[in-house]
Amino acid sequence: MSSYNFEYYKPKSIEEAASIFDQMDQQGKDPMYFSGGTEIITLKRLNQLKTGAVIDIKAIQECNVFEFHEDSLLTGAALTLTKVEELNLFPLLSQTVSEIADKTARNKITAGGNICGQIFYREAVLPFLLTDSELMIAGSDGRRNAPIKDVFNKQLLLNRGEFLVQMKTNRKYTEMPFVSIKRRRQWNTGYPLLTVAALKAEQGIRVAISGLTHFPFRSAQMEDALNRTDLAFEKRINLALSLLDVPILNDTEGSARYRLFVLKNTLYDIFQELEGDKLASIEEH
Amino acid sequence: MNIIGKSVIRKEAFDKVTGRAKYTADELSVNTLHVKMVTSAYGHAKIVSIDDSLARQISGVRAIIKGSHELPLTGEEIRDRPPLAVDKVRYFGEPIALVVADRPAIAKQAADLIQVKYEPLSVIQSPSEALKADAPIIHENLLSYDKLGSAYPVPNSNIANVTKIRKGNIDQGLKQSDVTVEGTYRLSPASHAAMETRSAAAEIKPDGYVHITTSSQAPFMVKKLISIYFKIDVGKIIVETPFVGGGYGGKAPIQWEILAYLASKAVGGRRVTITYTREEDLTTAPCKVGLEAKVKIGSTKEGIIQAAEILYLFDGGAYSDKSIDVSRAGGVDCIGPYNIENVWCDSYCIYTNHPYGSPFRGFGHSEVLFAFERTMDQLAGKLDIDPLELRKKNAILPGHTTPTQVLLNRSSVGNLPACIERLKELVGWEEGKQVEEIDDRRVRAKGIACGWKTSTIDTDASSGVILTFNPDGSINLISGVVEIGTATKTVLAQILAEKMKMEVEQIHVKMKIDTQTTPEHWKTVASRGIYMAGRAVLAAAEDVIRQIKDMAAQILRASMRDLDIANGKVFLRDDPNISLDFKDIVYGYKFPNGHSIGGQIIGYGNYILRRLTKLDPETGAGQPGPEWTTAAYYVEAEFDKRDFTYRLQKAAMVVDIGQVLNRKGAIGQVMGGMSMGLSHAGRETFVFDELGRVMNPQLRTYRPIHYGENPDYLVDFVKTPDINGPYGARGVGEHGLLGMPAALANCLSAAADANLNELPLTPELIWRSKGAEL
Repeated sequence: MSSYNFEYYKPKSIEEAASIFDQMDQQGKDPMYFSGGTEIITLKRLNQLKTGAVIDIKAIQECNVFEFHEDSLLTGAALTLTKVEELNLFPLLSQTVSEIADKTARNKITAGGNICGQIFYREAVLPFLLTDSELMIAGSDGRRNAPIKDVFNKQLLLNRGEFLVQMKTNRKYTEMPFVSIKRRRQWNTGYPLLTVAALKAEQGIRVAISGLTHFPFRSAQMEDALNRTDLAFEKRINLALSLLDVPILNDTEGSARYRLFVLKNTLYDIFQELEGDKLASIEEH
Repeated sequence: MNIIGKSVIRKEAFDKVTGRAKYTADELSVNTLHVKMVTSAYGHAKIVSIDDSLARQISGVRAIIKGSHELPLTGEEIRDRPPLAVDKVRYFGEPIALVVADRPAIAKQAADLIQVKYEPLSVIQSPSEALKADAPIIHENLLSYDKLGSAYPVPNSNIANVTKIRKGNIDQGLKQSDVTVEGTYRLSPASHAAMETRSAAAEIKPDGYVHITTSSQAPFMVKKLISIYFKIDVGKIIVETPFVGGGYGGKAPIQWEILAYLASKAVGGRRVTITYTREEDLTTAPCKVGLEAKVKIGSTKEGIIQAAEILYLFDGGAYSDKSIDVSRAGGVDCIGPYNIENVWCDSYCIYTNHPYGSPFRGFGHSEVLFAFERTMDQLAGKLDIDPLELRKKNAILPGHTTPTQVLLNRSSVGNLPACIERLKELVGWEEGKQVEEIDDRRVRAKGIACGWKTSTIDTDASSGVILTFNPDGSINLISGVVEIGTATKTVLAQILAEKMKMEVEQIHVKMKIDTQTTPEHWKTVASRGIYMAGRAVLAAAEDVIRQIKDMAAQILRASMRDLDIANGKVFLRDDPNISLDFKDIVYGYKFPNGHSIGGQIIGYGNYILRRLTKLDPETGAGQPGPEWTTAAYYVEAEFDKRDFTYRLQKAAMVVDIGQVLNRKGAIGQVMGGMSMGLSHAGRETFVFDELGRVMNPQLRTYRPIHYGENPDYLVDFVKTPDINGPYGARGVGEHGLLGMPAALANCLSAAADANLNELPLTPELIWRSKGAEL
């Protein structure tokens, strides 16, 4: 239950959405874009979020695409995680989002909503970070496309009144070997201790991590370390861990030191999955 | 008739599976006002000020109620708890103020605007901290509190109660021991997390009658305690309880009803309702107690236990309420189900700045057994004896005495050796080692535990049943047992159908409790529903059978002794063709000329537990409960030696149930208990920060076991009749849970080759126990 009222709009176009936002903003209503709504509704109930108007983007056509267009996969921000998983056009994305929350929630949570969420795991962004995807962002100044590394730093960097429309991913990345591993405090339910997604690209292994710190990230130094083919796998992992420059979370899911222990093992599992043949031959020596 | 043992579908099944069953919060009425709470943001703090000036300006707010010394103190053993905090708060989530408003949203808006200023006090996070010499005293006026029960608080301390168990001679016992093992154990408070959050409505009518509807396991206790606390004639308090969506002991204490009553009183008696949010249900409502334990067991080298020396420090939380009773029960069954001649145990209930304790399925037993059964496994290891064999050697049997010196007989204790033997067969215990390697990283491990429980309930607890008839000869069964999801009322119908030799479809069960028209069942707790109400049903059945035969004897001109009943008829034993239908008798018999005799038949029956006593304060000697159900437990898990993660594979339990009354119902109860035990053993616990705040007050972060995380469950029964139970049945509502935490801990301790003496058994805990290396 929310202790105060708010207005609800469901525009049919990007332009209409942006204009409603401006209008509401001018009226001092602190508008918010609304997609699956799971987070807005639950945080609002706890008074951890305040807005006088929400603008639902689910009726906007561009936010609902999920198709290959020329050499790119377009993923609409308003697609539910269930739909992403079921259509399975991007297996790494399917795998990663299939572990978010539970089925009932995934029927509502959207890819864009998860990426823009306040709950900081934002695991749906990991595959897009790994694939250097391009994001389409829209606002009252129109639409712009930007490489994810320019607009995602800890969180999506949106100007006031902007919203995420869709993600554009080069097809070749959707076909590369990948692994996505979620580790929890216990068993199969709950927020991640860590979620690590990895992709085996031509240049080497790419790794993006959620849950280790209070934002998801991809680290060039860590990837460089993990791809040091001159070193044994264990040394690469230790080197990568030593290069971590983020504060490690210490919370009800797990202590900081334990998270590092889990990360180390998870990286090892990623090597096993993506470089299993080499790993085996090294271990034999 | 063969209704006993049949898996009769519960009477309320169709209402429940279609979502039409009604619970307390489902009862809406137009003129109801709504209550929201303001709760403490700290574990321990002085209340400097409560500013409600903004809240009062909200239109639609009818009343704001704050704590005051004018309000009575509440509590079932020691009256130590103000209904709304006064001067200071003692736990996170403690109610501070109530807002009554026209609509829930208005009440919430106003409650959010109430500003409470605190001055934090140092927080006591564990019983051992509470016992330190320099620990702050949580209840400075402990001795001045009124007592309703027989608690033994220690002045100027944080000790709410101590139960002393002294059996035999502990020094002698330890001297006789070739081997001793000792361990310390701990577990934190947790929640019941029932599906339905607590809810109550209250109305004070102009004639002074107080009407309360509540999601409670103890509507009759609500009536009595509200009467005591607020000095209202007990007959003027009418409590109704519809279906309850899970209780697990957490709805046996009285809290939300008091708040509803205060709110109604503040608005001139208008009907008000309060429904806890999930966060309030987890933190404000009474919870599952925590425990710190120290257990020492001495044994001969052959594995015959000589002595057990035990210290239990129950984390009772900020107020003592029912946790005093829980700590007493922990003393009563302080050891596992074993014959030990020399037992020394101090079981304390300690005040801390945690949410306060309440009954929780098992009533202290799963906590105590975790400590004791872990120690038993360490003893088995030290003696190099099979852990099940060690337990069988020491199993408690008829002729032995319990820690409170009750001499057991063939009826009053279950057959533990038979449970152990059946468990061995069921899980193939003899096959393979306790820890089997799967590959270089994974092992499959198995662990066991045993358990027992009696029910330490009030010595004068009773249960009543009324039977009325319908014109077609079918029977209405009215019992004070609350239907909390256990299908108890269906089983009562089976018991009645069996006794009356009728179809169970001919028994109509009244589900809702109304304390004005429903005969009392003390509380729907302690696995005593069927045990007591079943006996009351049998007594009531005998009463109506006698009345029916009395009528029939006159009409058929035969002796009552020559009559029998079955299938809705009363007939001559030697010539069943000479008979009368119930329908022609139960509302009076009308002769052809119109003359009538008899009138409607109403039956009643009751049952009171007999010869229970209080415990001797110095030795604990006494008869605390009627019978001891025994059980053996097994858990098998696949354990990853690198990650310290594990998957539950199989869980098994064999329990001496006395008699199976409803097979699938009983399996469901046991399996549900096992699942709950594994959930608490593996994951469920409150996490507190340094201010005593619960850091996981939502189901996002407080996570009971989910479907798919469960192992395969195997359940079987041993049947050693309890002569006093209906058709020989023993209590079984709680027993599925009792040994599960210990069995899982024993399994994982073997798998990880470490002493895992703390719950919950998360991979991180195991990693820490193994040295916390990176």
